[in-house]
Amino acid sequence: MIDRRQFLKMAATLSTVFGVTNLPASVQAALNKIDPAALPKLVYLQGLSCTGCSISLLQAESPSPATLITDYSQLAFHADLSAISGKKATEMIESFITGQAGPYFLAVEGAVPQQMPEACMIGEHPFAWYLDQAAKTMSGAVAVGTCASYGGIPAAEGNPTGAIGIREYYAQTGVSKPIISIPGCPPHPDWVWQTVVHLVKIGMPELTKDGCPKLFFNHKVHDACPRYHDFQQEIFATKLGEEGCLFKLGCLGPDTNADCPTRWWNGGQTWCIDSNAPCIGCASPIFARKKDFPFYRIHELQKASE
Amino acid sequence: MKVDLGPITRIEGHLNIHTSVDNGVITDAQCVGEMFRGFEVFLQGRDPLDAQQITQRICGVCPYAHAIASSYAQENAYQLEVPPNGRILHNLIQGANHLYDYLLQFYQLSALDFVDVTAILKYQGKDTDLLHLKGWVQAELASGKAYPAAPFLPRLSGNYISDTDLNIGALKHYLESMKIQQKANRASAIFGGKFPHSTAIFPGGATQTPSIDRITNYISLIKEVRDFIHNTYIPDIVAVAGGFPDYWNIGASTGGFLSYGLMPLSSDRNSERMLAPGVLLDGTVSPVDFEQITQDINHSKYSSPTGLKVRDSTLTPDPHKQDAYSWIKAPRYNGKMVEVGAAARIMVDYTQGHNQAVKKLVETFAGMANIQPSQLNSVLGRHLCRAICGAVIADFLLAEAERLDPQGPTMADITIPASAEGFGATEASRGGLLHYIQIENHKIQRYECVVPTTWNASPQDDQGNPGAMETALVGTKVQNPEEQIEALRIVHSFDPCIACAVH
Repeated sequence: MIDRRQFLKMAATLSTVFGVTNLPASVQAALNKIDPAALPKLVYLQGLSCTGCSISLLQAESPSPATLITDYSQLAFHADLSAISGKKATEMIESFITGQAGPYFLAVEGAVPQQMPEACMIGEHPFAWYLDQAAKTMSGAVAVGTCASYGGIPAAEGNPTGAIGIREYYAQTGVSKPIISIPGCPPHPDWVWQTVVHLVKIGMPELTKDGCPKLFFNHKVHDACPRYHDFQQEIFATKLGEEGCLFKLGCLGPDTNADCPTRWWNGGQTWCIDSNAPCIGCASPIFARKKDFPFYRIHELQKASE
Repeated sequence: MKVDLGPITRIEGHLNIHTSVDNGVITDAQCVGEMFRGFEVFLQGRDPLDAQQITQRICGVCPYAHAIASSYAQENAYQLEVPPNGRILHNLIQGANHLYDYLLQFYQLSALDFVDVTAILKYQGKDTDLLHLKGWVQAELASGKAYPAAPFLPRLSGNYISDTDLNIGALKHYLESMKIQQKANRASAIFGGKFPHSTAIFPGGATQTPSIDRITNYISLIKEVRDFIHNTYIPDIVAVAGGFPDYWNIGASTGGFLSYGLMPLSSDRNSERMLAPGVLLDGTVSPVDFEQITQDINHSKYSSPTGLKVRDSTLTPDPHKQDAYSWIKAPRYNGKMVEVGAAARIMVDYTQGHNQAVKKLVETFAGMANIQPSQLNSVLGRHLCRAICGAVIADFLLAEAERLDPQGPTMADITIPASAEGFGATEASRGGLLHYIQIENHKIQRYECVVPTTWNASPQDDQGNPGAMETALVGTKVQNPEEQIEALRIVHSFDPCIACAVH
């Protein structure tokens, strides 16, 4: 006899294999009305991070962050929201990562200081220790933001701590649990929460070659940019603050996969390019990586006009 | 007995505090910053215009303050003539960011130190949000799972507010504030491009056009936030103060106060600011001199020289250094320890009799609570000062938005000189923020940030004198030495940000 939880797990697996639309209506209904007790528990840990991802998660509007952590997931631990603190907080984290508190997903914000473990401590242990323990017990991991996905800003050239993303860290330590990367500095709250909802209602989302949900990261910013017409007509901004295609100022929309041009940010009223600010490629694997690859090409334009 | 308080939650980042407790009193405290990334290292050699983007990633809670400080520093280095719109846009973007941060700090980060979450189980009213929360907590508690009602439970032992209505009202406001902080951030992002991490802020202004629809939208959102500050946030602080009056006398730091002043009133580089800068030592305010700032590192995990001025600073990490207990440096002003933050901002301005709205609010609340203005140096004082800042900033932003010229330029023309240097100072929500940029051969030669929590959570300096938060903790009575909710209330009142402090 198969129990309800096993059934849903199986249905979720099948759904990713066959695509959601092929599911019988009864199975789809069961998936949509998932048992609250089966909601995924998230243990959210921060490494070399700035908390910007967490602050971005609080900007989710519909559903609200409060609804998302009660109705769509269970936020077992998050350093910015948890009432508990100190040793009792680490006891709680440890009870999950040692497998005593039931199944859970690990959500990670921030990079791993691989060559300087002391550069990130949580209580008595380095951050990497928690990752190592969790590798044995977690159902999977969600890398929240560009630092956790690819190393991000702490891994910029010069990188004194040897910062890397968790996918690379787990690959090096021989861990093969499922990992979903949700880059962005910060990620749009929808990208993260809707991935969690996808996990709850449907199962593992389809991923790009970089391990990001195709739902959000399948297209270049440039391809859906409202200023694509300007690009084709060669109407280029040549100074900061000008309208038109921002390519000549250094816009990295052609190199960056994200759905910002259709999703927009902060209540859907704004996004970088609408504010005449070039895309700086914050969701890209090479975001900010090289010193000789600046965000803006003001110098080049000035030299060209001299 | 020795007790480590880390990892301290409901703050930004990785903070531990080593405490010694004798007979129920904290006798020693060491603030331990537990994370290091090395921004100074990876900024070196980069294009200077990368700085206002990279330094925002020091902190995702107050990124706009870093963008502004970096922009000021670069404006000084490039000698830019900033158009009026440019400065106004900076103020509008940064000011709205302050408002969100104050609400987040009080409701999400601090309120659970005082408010009894379990009071929701007694709720008998008809509010749908509260009924939903009640139903959820009931179901969680009945579920038999390992940690029901996380992240709100479990919690530390301590005396919480006993009045059921007060608790339930605060929980309602906890949920409401989550929506209001979004409105403040939406306002910021109208001109900032997105939040967190604005792409539209540059030295010399911002790239977004101040069209009339954007201005109207901004004003409308800030009005809603302002109403919440007056009708909900301030009354909630007064209510907490009524329940915990001892905290007007708990958590005082023992040094001076430093504020760089907030929001220039004109685009002139040396403009007067809405809140005045100054160093408050022994009751007297003096002008700020960046040359008086040095950073000791005998107790910090670096092998670079100690006691350097900001423009000379270097950084070599040394994680295993003997006798070092923190990644945070120990900045001192003319050798003296100072506190920064909302209380410093308000006390520095109030002592000079500068902003009349500040004066009125300080005196009104001091009268209501029957305290002296000097008692703003306390747990409740810091919370109250954030609310006063919020009220004053919101009014300023509403007037400032009207000053935008929809037809005027928003940006200075930027030409980066081959070699230059510049300081940029502003107030992040957590306190005084100083950036310094040195440019050689059109590239960043040196970049240094002296950040609010670097001051507040500083370790001992080379003379062994403790930092502001360390002094605020010593002498505090704790009921349960293992957990020390009293210490947590003090720490939260400083609103520490460790990603900022170490960077």
